[in-house]
Amino acid sequence: RYAAHKKKAAQKDSRRNERQPFSRSVFAAGTASRTAEFMRRKSGEDMVDQPVATSKGPSHAEVPDCPLTVTEWASLKQNSLRPHQFEVQMMKRMVAARSSIDIAKSLLTYVAVETGTLNYELLLKYLTLCVHGNYYSEVFDLYEIMKSHFKTLDPGAYSLFIKVFSTTDRWRESFTMLESLSKTMTPSPRNYGDVIAGALQHGDSTTAWALYDRLLEQGLSPNQDTWQALFKSSCSEHSHNERLRDILLFMRDNQLYPGEPLAQCISSWFESLPADNWTGSWTTAGPSGTCQCCGAALESIRLSEEEYGLLKDRVMRDVIMGRDVFTKTTPQELDRFRKFVESVPAFDVVLDGLNVANTFGKGKQSETLLAVATELEKQGLNILVLGRSHMRRHSHSWDRDHMTRVQQVAHCFFTDDISEDDPFLLYAALHSGNHCMFVSRDLMRDHKACLADGTTRCLFFKWQRGHQLVVHGYAPGRRIRFQRIQSYDTILQTDGASWHIPYDPQGQDRCSYEVPTTWLCLRRAGRPT
Amino acid sequence: HDLAAKKLDLDVWKSVMRSSQPQEDKEEDDDSNDIDDDEEEECSTLESSRELVEMWRLAGKLVPEQISEEDLQALTALSTKSSKKKFLKRLALKEHHKKVDKEKKERKRAQKEAERQRNAEGEEEGADRPLRNTFLMHFWTRSMDALHNWRAAQSMCFGQPLVFDMSYEQNMSKPEMTSAVSQLLESEGWNRRSADPFHLHFCNLKPDGIYHQELLKRYGRDTWDRLLITTTEQHYMDLFPKNQVVYLTADSRNVLRTFDHDKVYIVGAMVDKSIQTGLSLANAKRLQLVTARLPLDNFLHWDMGSKNLTLDQMMRILLTLKEGGNWEQALEFVPKRKHDGFFKAPQLRKQT
Repeated sequence: RYAAHKKKAAQKDSRRNERQPFSRSVFAAGTASRTAEFMRRKSGEDMVDQPVATSKGPSHAEVPDCPLTVTEWASLKQNSLRPHQFEVQMMKRMVAARSSIDIAKSLLTYVAVETGTLNYELLLKYLTLCVHGNYYSEVFDLYEIMKSHFKTLDPGAYSLFIKVFSTTDRWRESFTMLESLSKTMTPSPRNYGDVIAGALQHGDSTTAWALYDRLLEQGLSPNQDTWQALFKSSCSEHSHNERLRDILLFMRDNQLYPGEPLAQCISSWFESLPADNWTGSWTTAGPSGTCQCCGAALESIRLSEEEYGLLKDRVMRDVIMGRDVFTKTTPQELDRFRKFVESVPAFDVVLDGLNVANTFGKGKQSETLLAVATELEKQGLNILVLGRSHMRRHSHSWDRDHMTRVQQVAHCFFTDDISEDDPFLLYAALHSGNHCMFVSRDLMRDHKACLADGTTRCLFFKWQRGHQLVVHGYAPGRRIRFQRIQSYDTILQTDGASWHIPYDPQGQDRCSYEVPTTWLCLRRAGRPT
Repeated sequence: HDLAAKKLDLDVWKSVMRSSQPQEDKEEDDDSNDIDDDEEEECSTLESSRELVEMWRLAGKLVPEQISEEDLQALTALSTKSSKKKFLKRLALKEHHKKVDKEKKERKRAQKEAERQRNAEGEEEGADRPLRNTFLMHFWTRSMDALHNWRAAQSMCFGQPLVFDMSYEQNMSKPEMTSAVSQLLESEGWNRRSADPFHLHFCNLKPDGIYHQELLKRYGRDTWDRLLITTTEQHYMDLFPKNQVVYLTADSRNVLRTFDHDKVYIVGAMVDKSIQTGLSLANAKRLQLVTARLPLDNFLHWDMGSKNLTLDQMMRILLTLKEGGNWEQALEFVPKRKHDGFFKAPQLRKQT
């Protein structure tokens, strides 16, 4: 059922894309990669991504394909170009080639017979090979040997041992390894994830959750695999349901989206809940912001009054003023701008003059700007055009007549040539109120980065998705169209009776400024609505 | 049966390892029980850091062989794995360079020793060589130093001022600071050796600030006190009239077209590896100063790299211009890796 639905959705998707390559929002997942592909084809470059050369320079001495005797290894070493690093280099190549461990063992035997001992690096590389090949008994043997020869191990070895031990009967030992590791540095989320998964696999959910708490305490972000393990293990045992809901809320607060495997685990966990009788379905959101599956309205993209006020303050404080007002503007200019904004009625739309003018290569810059401004004016909107002073000077690309007409249809504010205009644009749009949109193709990532904390950045991104208009294609003389703004927020959400979870389908890569377009809809079934 | 024989061989290394003695003995000093808990804890974290370095070294990572107590503490204070790795790599490279230098010195000394012996043998043969008739006494380095100091003294009376604005202490990390001080030393050196030096001013130099401390450390107290430059806590605006001052910054919109012998050029003494764009421009804007940047784009096919040049490069470019050189000659000091050569005909676009 799921696969069939997905296929249908994908077909619909591709048909729509063929017709209009840019019709979706710039923030929808996959748009950036499609645009890049389109531009590449347009410029006539058949640039297929060249596979990166894996081997550095000419490979000296190939990895043998069967175990060698001591004498054979000795002669191979003699013929090699760099005999003093022969063993480690050979082992590295075996790891890269995923050779059989018998060959590696024969190399170790050769070294051990020759020198009477084996060095740490060689053993570590051998360990990597064993872990990749899942040779557990070999890993145990290695652990004993390394433990007896060295006082401690390095973080790399610990990570590998943790990975293997946690999946076997000796999973409890992985706790002590984690302890030893945390003496020198914070273990990675992957280390924690491995131990948690091990504990869950062996039915010790209390320890697993305790470790999960420690992971969060240290400010680390858990891996999706870890969440997947937690959801999976709770499908049979329902003692931690509240905590799993907390995980979902954690994803919501941090604007994280599950991948497809995790989404499937979440779905089956919901479906396994006794009594409630949940059903999950894979769906998309309709243009009006309703779930295509159950018809429920998704959360609006509009910010609450409180959030809005906070964002406005922060943009003024962090983006415009920053540490030093003089970096982006001057106090005089800021004052002039504030007075200007207060002297005119609230705007409906704010234009980034330079960005809009430069959107299309053809024609004069001022002409493009005028066309966009006139189009918006026809819709009866109150417009502000933000620009720099040099736009007012008559030149080849800035026609004075065009600019006079722009000033007739819109309010204009020109910053000094040396100042930045984007922060003013953001503030003007925020100042005008929740209905005000802004027109720019800029993704404002550098301004988003100026904001101090993650929460405000998420808020900024939400506001941006709801208020940024992108000009959708324009040729002189044709009508201007804008890309659609989504009316709903793409975020994990619940209203108690249902959950809606955006997820990343497998095989689709999403840029950091894009949001998924596919949803998991979970609702209680079997009850009359 | 050949294969079977080989199979039997494969685990030999394990038995070898098991039978061999561990390389290191277990801890030998367990007699330090009388220290209190806090100290013990600190000791144990330091100890585990030391162990970490040791294990990384065994694992073939780039870490120093010897690590001082001070560095170990700095390492323990670092919180993330990548910062630890970076720190250790820097130490390891430093150690390597030191070792290479030492070896080179040793080689040279041996060579000199051999030469001296050969000379001594030669001397014995022709014992009384007549003294050579020379026009000059041996020209020692100190004679050259005296000459440079005369010139520097002259420039302190009549020379054109050049200001290094030392107000960026707070904007630099420790490695940046170190390299900034190196660049200042280098700049001062180039200035001293030129035919017509600038009168160097280190303005906004806070007494006992980081800059002052580092400069003292590098120059030594005596040399620092005898240095023929002006160092002052005062702001450059208090020393020079505003209309004479030009702040040089790569972020400026104005291009420096000609070198003006009546202006006071200001260079921000800052190494900016974290790309804090517009920092010095903001300062100039605050004081409403005239700013300018070098005409790099007008003369060079810029290829890659930041347009911020090092302080010593700036110094040599300005010295060349001061001595009447043209832009081509001056911009020879821009690193070659950053550009693909000069334009055939310099295009000085009209700039406002």
